Amino acid sequence: MTTGTNRSTATNRAIATDTAAVATEATGAGSAAGATRLVDDGLFADVAPPRLAGARCSGCGTVVFPRQESCPQCSGGTMTAHVLPVRGRVWSWTLQAFPPKPPYRPPAEGYRPYHVGYVDLGEVLVEARLEVPRADIRIGLEVRLITVPAYLDEDGTQVLTFAFEPDPEGER
Amino acid sequence: MTRARSDEVYVVGCGMHPFGRDETVTGMDMAERAVREALRDAGVAWADIGYAAGGSDVSGKPDTMVGRLGLTGVPFVNVQNGCATGASTVLAVANALRAGEAALGLAVGFDKHGRGAFNASPARYGLGDWYAETGMMLTTQFFALKTRRYLHEHGISERALAMAAARAFRNGSEHPMAWRRKPLTVQEILDSAEVSPPLTQYMFCSPGQGAVALVLALGDRAFDLCERPVRLASVALRTRRFGSFEVFAPWLPPGPHRSPTVDAAEAVFRAADVRPADVQVAQVQDTDSGSELIHLAETGLCGHGEQEELLAAGETDPTGRLPVNTDGGCLAGGEPVGASGLRQFHEVVRQLQGRAPGAQVPGGPRVGFTHVYGAPGISACSVLTV
Repeated sequence: MTTGTNRSTATNRAIATDTAAVATEATGAGSAAGATRLVDDGLFADVAPPRLAGARCSGCGTVVFPRQESCPQCSGGTMTAHVLPVRGRVWSWTLQAFPPKPPYRPPAEGYRPYHVGYVDLGEVLVEARLEVPRADIRIGLEVRLITVPAYLDEDGTQVLTFAFEPDPEGER
Repeated sequence: MTRARSDEVYVVGCGMHPFGRDETVTGMDMAERAVREALRDAGVAWADIGYAAGGSDVSGKPDTMVGRLGLTGVPFVNVQNGCATGASTVLAVANALRAGEAALGLAVGFDKHGRGAFNASPARYGLGDWYAETGMMLTTQFFALKTRRYLHEHGISERALAMAAARAFRNGSEHPMAWRRKPLTVQEILDSAEVSPPLTQYMFCSPGQGAVALVLALGDRAFDLCERPVRLASVALRTRRFGSFEVFAPWLPPGPHRSPTVDAAEAVFRAADVRPADVQVAQVQDTDSGSELIHLAETGLCGHGEQEELLAAGETDPTGRLPVNTDGGCLAGGEPVGASGLRQFHEVVRQLQGRAPGAQVPGGPRVGFTHVYGAPGISACSVLTV
């Protein structure tokens, strides 16, 4: 059985660490092979290390992701930027076992099955790619936020998205 | 709620084009055939229809079929309401009849989808391109994620998913209008290709094609036309409220997650003055086997966590205490979105009239139930009685 993890934790960490620097280089210099960008800047509050940009309602405390201008719960409060926690637990998971149709964009090396799931961050559950081997994946697994390569732009720019991997500091 | 018989709406005729794949017909061709069959079944002419509603997701504007059926000037409402399209057409026609618009109405639904999983555009759902580009915009993932969590919370095994699918294909094998008519064993279903675990290939329905039409009549007219009219005791349509767990959701609030199914089912049972335990034949949305298990409990037909025992004991078989998806449901019929909800009505009506096309529930069932659920968080339920 194939698992969705085709990139090592070490690689993920290196990419995550490089993101800010590379993204900065890419800005202004134009895109080129070796450069990276985020799949959508609006999703991120920070890149090295990555933080997700949510919003919180001043009226009822509801936390949403990505940011939106009005509260879906109370319609009353104002929404302010809110950086989401980076650690949580797998709430549910599955495997994408067949290649999705466009507008899905496969990674440079081609489609490989991958895990997705919801991660319980306490104040909100976020849907994300899960960089966890099949043998280890389970509801309740402690995970932490990373970035991973999603696909290549036509000019070779590596596009990064957010994901979660097993948290080395979590309980066994 | 008690109404005078003169205010009651009844199903007096139904027609169905077989579900499945047939490259020789268009969606509109199938709809026309279903309408003509329903009119013949009711013993009326198209010119007698005083109000019509039709629904299709992808196969054309339903009201254009007046060009085929006859340009009688009939008011004809088009509905495009996802999985609740069929129930919405019934609701529109029933309300028009009760409001005095006409004594005889027609509801029709049809669709003909391409092969493979539904493909959705992020912009249409108010989402950024990133969501689809990174491979998270798939309905199959949603059903798997919801099912995985549900099994975990209620201690249900993956085998129960296969049992639900096996029953669907068993019922489909006896139904002349079902698409999938080959019975499959629990093991064959468990061993079929993994799509999104815990769901395998044979635990998912496929987009398909088909058409269904119903003739509805008000009050005494129904009894003039039909030996055994089926009373539309209630219909309810609901959209999601905050905190429901829906398809294409980049985030969810912490639970509990309440589905629009719960609201629609509560409303429909209250309005019909019927308890879930009174239901003798039920159709629930089985886009996948996990959805069926979840919906059986969300509608109140059983308790959360009781599904596996019910399935194992054969209680959801046509001969059981709670016959479910007696025509094979979406799993055996496929899911032509515009026709799927009306297929449920067709099956329940024929069961209550004692002339089921496939496996007939024995003992003369008198109370039937239908349920649909779909994106982006809608549900419709109905109670039908004789």
